[in-house]
Amino acid sequence: MSRRALLGGIPVAALFALAACSSNSTTSSGQASAPTTAATSATATPTGSAAASTAASGTVAKLAQAFQATLGSDLQAQLLQDYTLANAKLWSNLPQGLLGGGMAGGPMGGSTGARIGLSLGDLNAAQLQAFNALLKAATGSTSGLGYDEIQQHLNADDYLADNGGGNEYGRANYYIAFLGTPADSGTWEFQFGGHHLAVANTYVNGTLAGATPSFRGIEPNSSFQLNGTTNQPMAAKEAALAALLAGLSAEQLASAKLSKTYSDLLLGPGKDWAFPATQEGLKLSTLSVDQKKLALAAMAGYVNDISDAEAAAILKRYESEIDDTYLAYSGTAALTARNDYIRVDGPSVWIEFSMQRGIVLSGNHPHSVWRDRKTDYGGTKS
Amino acid sequence: MPAFRPVAARRNLEPKTRLRVLLAALAVMMSAIVFGAAPAYAHVLPTSSVQLDVREDVIDATAKIPMDDLEAALGLDLGDQSAATVAGNAAAISAYLLQHFAPTSDDGQAWTVQLNGLGATEAGDTSTTGLYQELDATFTLTPPAGSDARSFNLGYSAVVDQVVTHVVLVSVDSGWSAGVVAPYAAGTIRLDTVSGQVTPLHMSLGQGNNVSGFLSMFVLGVQHIQEGTDHQLFLLTLLVPAPLIAGARRWARPAPVKKAVRRIAAITLAFTIGHSATLALGALGMPVPTGVIEASIAVSILIAAIHAIRPVFAGKEIFVAGFFGLVHGLAFSETLRGLDLTGPRLALSLLGFNLGIEAMQLTVVALVLPPLLVLASTGHYRRLRILAASAAGIAAVGWLAARLGLPNTVADLADNLGVMSLPVIALLWLGAATTLVRSCRRKRRSPAFVPDPAGSPAAVSST
Repeated sequence: MSRRALLGGIPVAALFALAACSSNSTTSSGQASAPTTAATSATATPTGSAAASTAASGTVAKLAQAFQATLGSDLQAQLLQDYTLANAKLWSNLPQGLLGGGMAGGPMGGSTGARIGLSLGDLNAAQLQAFNALLKAATGSTSGLGYDEIQQHLNADDYLADNGGGNEYGRANYYIAFLGTPADSGTWEFQFGGHHLAVANTYVNGTLAGATPSFRGIEPNSSFQLNGTTNQPMAAKEAALAALLAGLSAEQLASAKLSKTYSDLLLGPGKDWAFPATQEGLKLSTLSVDQKKLALAAMAGYVNDISDAEAAAILKRYESEIDDTYLAYSGTAALTARNDYIRVDGPSVWIEFSMQRGIVLSGNHPHSVWRDRKTDYGGTKS
Repeated sequence: MPAFRPVAARRNLEPKTRLRVLLAALAVMMSAIVFGAAPAYAHVLPTSSVQLDVREDVIDATAKIPMDDLEAALGLDLGDQSAATVAGNAAAISAYLLQHFAPTSDDGQAWTVQLNGLGATEAGDTSTTGLYQELDATFTLTPPAGSDARSFNLGYSAVVDQVVTHVVLVSVDSGWSAGVVAPYAAGTIRLDTVSGQVTPLHMSLGQGNNVSGFLSMFVLGVQHIQEGTDHQLFLLTLLVPAPLIAGARRWARPAPVKKAVRRIAAITLAFTIGHSATLALGALGMPVPTGVIEASIAVSILIAAIHAIRPVFAGKEIFVAGFFGLVHGLAFSETLRGLDLTGPRLALSLLGFNLGIEAMQLTVVALVLPPLLVLASTGHYRRLRILAASAAGIAAVGWLAARLGLPNTVADLADNLGVMSLPVIALLWLGAATTLVRSCRRKRRSPAFVPDPAGSPAAVSST
C-alpha cells in the first residue's frame, strides 16, 4: 500500500515542482521591481516610475515604505507581490503548513493556496520594529482590538506551538505581503496573516477602500499566560457579541434564531462575493435605542481592528444602515458551546462568529470573519 | 489496529488509501490546471463522504458521516458515539438516512434504497480535523426497471440539509465497464451560500463498454502487484540465486549469463502458469481458505529465502515457483471475487487482470534482474544475496506470525517494505554500473586480456 502511495506521490511531487516553478516566476517579477521601490523609499524622491510615488508622512503607505526600506533585496522580493484578486484571496484560517502544498489535511482538508509574502520569523529587531509601526498604524489603537489583539494573537500561536502544536504554529508562520506598491496613488493591499488571522487593508489613492475580508479566530480561547503576560485575544469581540444577544427579549431572540446548524462560518476563506441573496433573522429596525448601541458595539469589535479614524468612518456607514441590518444566531445565545453561531448582516456589514471544537487543545475555539458586501478586497471582484 | 490482516480485510483498506492518494493528487492537479496558482477553499471540519461502488445491476453506497454532525442533524445525543450506541439508536438513524437518500432517475422515477448496516469507526487525524467518531452506513441502490442506471440524481442530503456548513464528498469507487477501477471524485454536495439551497448532485457515470472494462482490470492487475509487497518479495527472493550455479551444499560461481537468463525466464513463467490457474479457479468460485493462503504465502517467501542462502531445491526452482504460483493465484482471486462479476465480464476481467499482473511482474524482473546479473559476477554478490535473503526471511517470519494470529512489529514493517523499492532498485543499478565501469578499466589496463565482444561480466571475473 505504501508503495502505491509512493508511486502516487511521484506525479504529485512533480505537480508541486511545477507549482513551485510558477510561484518562483511571480517572485522574480517582484524582484525586478524591488530595486526601484527600495530606492524610492530610501531617498523619498520620485523616480521615473509613476506607480512608485511617495506617500504623505504618517500614513500607512509611508510606514510601509519605511518598513520595506529596512529589508535587503531578498526579503523585499518576498514582500512585494502583484496586486491581483488571486493574490488577495490567499488567506485562510488554517496554519500555513496545511495550505497549498501541505496536503496534510483530512478529507480534502485545506486546499487553499499557501500565503505569500515574507515570514515574520525572518525579521531582525530593527525590521520588526518598523513592521510593528506599520501594523499599529494599519490596525488601530483600541485596547483589546486591532494591534493589541494581534500581539496577543501571536502569543496564542506561540502558546500552541509550545503546547502540542509544534513547528507549524508560532509567530514565524505569519506572513506579510504588499500587493502592489505602497503609495498615495494607485491600489495596493497590506496583507498580514497566519493561523486564525487575516488582515486585508486595501488602499486606493491613499485612502482605505476596504478593510475586509478580515478573519479572526483563536485557540486557546480562554485566558492564558505567556512570558509573564495574560492573554485572551478575542475576549472583547466575544463579550460584545454575547452582550448583544443578552440584551434581546425572549421574543426578539426567537425571531433571531436560525433553525439550521452552523459548524463553521458560511463565508470563510475562499467564499468570496458569495453573500446570501436574502437576509435572515431579526431586523434591527425593531430594536430599542439601547439595543442598537449594543449592536453597534458588537460591530465595533471588528471595525476597530483598523486605524481609529478609518474605523469611525466605517462605523458611521454601518450605523446609517442599521435599520436594514439583520441579526441571526444558532445554538445557544451564550456563544460558548460548539456550533453556537451569530451573524450580523446588513446592506454592507457582514460579521459571522462560529464556536467550534478545539484542534490542538481541548476546549472550544471560535472562528469569525468580518466582510463587507460592498468593499471586500476594496471592491475588487475580478 | 492489530497487525493481523487477513486478505479480505486488507483489500477493504486499500480503496480508502487509494482514495486518499487519488483525492490528494486530484486536488493538486485541479489547482494546478484550473487556477494556475491555487484555489481558495479551506475546510478542516470533518466532511461526510459517499462512495459509490458501481456494479452490473445495482450500486453499493457507503456513507461516512461525522458523528457530531449527525447528532446535530438528528437532534439526538449519541453519547459515546460507539457502535453499541449506534445500534441502540438504529431505528432513528435508519429512518433519518432513508429520508435523506433518495436517488431518482432522470425521468423522475425513484430508485429503491436499502440500508444494509450501520457501524462506527474512528476517523480524522490530529493535525487537521482532530480525531472523531464517524458513522458508517452501507446501502444498496437499485434503479427502477428500464431506467438508465448510469445517469441519475443522487438525492443525498443527509446532514448537509441541517448543518449548512457541512460538505459531502462523493466518489465513485468502481465502475467496471466505464473503465473505472480506481476511485475518482465525482462531486460535492454543499450549500450554495447565495441561494441558500443545497445544490443537488447529478451523477453521470458514462456509458461503459468491454474494452474500457478490460483495460481497467489490466490496471487493477498492475496495481495489485505494485501494492502486494509479499508477492513481489517471493518472486524476487526466488530470483536472487538464479544467476548462480549450486555447488554441493552452497551457492558457487556465477552461471553463464545465457543460462541465468533462461533460468530466470523459466522461473517467472512457472510462477505465472501456477497463479493463472488458481486465479481462474478462485474467481470462478472455488472456495478459498483465505487465512491458510495468506499464511502459505509467508511460508513460500521463507522457503525462497532459505534457498537463496543455501540451495535446498537447486534445479527444481521451476516446480517450487509453479507450486507457490498456485498459492499466490488464490490470493489474487480474492480481488476479483470482491467485484462480483459474472459471465463474459468475468472472463474479460480474468484475462485483463492476469495480463496486468504479468506486465507488472515482468517490469519488476526487468528492473531488478539486469543489475543482479552484473553484480553476480562480483565478490560482493554473496553478501548482497545473504543480506537480501535474510531480510526477506525475517519479513516472512513476521508475516507468518501475524497471519497465524500473533501481531508483531516485524510484520508491520514488512508491510511497508514497498517504500524501499525505488531506492533499492536505484542502488542496484548504481552498483551494477560501478561494476561495469571498473571491469572496463581493468580490461584496458591488461593488454593480454582479449575483450569479450558481448562484454559479459561473468566472463570478466570468472578467474
